[in-house]
Amino acid sequence: MDKYKKNISFTLITVIIGFMLAIQFRTVKEPVVRDTRDTWQLREDLIKENELQLKLIREVRSNEEKISKYETELKQSKEQVLRDTLGELKAEAGLTDVNGNGIILIIEPIYEELLLGTAVSTVSPDLLKRLVNELNMYGAMQISIDNQRIINTTVIRDINGETKIDGHSLNGFPIEIKVIAENAKSADKLFKRMQVSKSADEFFVDNLRVKVVKPDEMIEIPAYQNTIRIRDMKPMDSEKGGNS
Amino acid sequence: MWLPVLGLIIGVILGLLTEIKIPDEYSNYLSIAVLAALDTLFGGIRAQLQNIYDERVFVSGFFFNILLAASLAFLGVHLGVDLYLAAVFAFGVRLFQNIAVIRRILLTKWSVIREKTEKN
Repeated sequence: MDKYKKNISFTLITVIIGFMLAIQFRTVKEPVVRDTRDTWQLREDLIKENELQLKLIREVRSNEEKISKYETELKQSKEQVLRDTLGELKAEAGLTDVNGNGIILIIEPIYEELLLGTAVSTVSPDLLKRLVNELNMYGAMQISIDNQRIINTTVIRDINGETKIDGHSLNGFPIEIKVIAENAKSADKLFKRMQVSKSADEFFVDNLRVKVVKPDEMIEIPAYQNTIRIRDMKPMDSEKGGNS
Repeated sequence: MWLPVLGLIIGVILGLLTEIKIPDEYSNYLSIAVLAALDTLFGGIRAQLQNIYDERVFVSGFFFNILLAASLAFLGVHLGVDLYLAAVFAFGVRLFQNIAVIRRILLTKWSVIREKTEKN
């Protein structure tokens, strides 16, 4: 019995040793892949690889040609022209976000008057209209009031005592008016003009102060968010208006 | 006596059949462990022939030697000294001594048997 037990442990250990030996053997005796090709075989392989390279280059070239062909087709097609025109028109109508040099006007109540107990009045639409007109006169290209884009059909009016711009009510102060001019030079000009503008005085009468700021970086004016409704217009008949 | 040999063969077959491969960084450790295992094995055989075999000594020696050799190699790697050479040297010397003793014992046994047969 004792001998049997002894043999068992001995056997187990020899199994482990055998296992370790085999693994070590496998690890060390990794078949070394030697390059046994002679010059001619190497040459043949090189030629094969060169041919492959040539083929790949040809493929690349044909694909590039195809791409350029498609691009020129796209450019020459009427669709692209239409797309470009549509984009231009959209930008002009105010349906795109605009970045550019410009100024920011901040309308806020006069704090000294607030201390004296005067109630905060809202901005009257007439004043705003006047301000917008003045800005347009001095070379503003795009205007937004409280992040509402002002376009040609924008209405600024008083509805039940609230000043509204296209349905967006202005009831919080300060009100930020962003104005983008054509370029940096005209933005500078606009800034100077607004600093001495008369409308600031008129705002002052309403207990409001207009601060003119000219940021160094570009300012961004959001696109017009509502849909533009045109009620009393319809496309002209091409026969009546002539083919143009 | 045939059972340990069978075990060795089974172990080798198992090792060859499994797709285990030791990464190159660790092959050092395995080789030193194999050396320690072989040393213990031959020590065990010698002890058996000298009739001083103790199972506890054998089994504990087997695992302890492997661990010691591997940790020595590990320490050597981290100290930047080839300490595993010490283990290789020690195990190598002991391996030779053990095998020499085994050979002598077998030789004397064999000569005794031959004398007996000649006498008969």
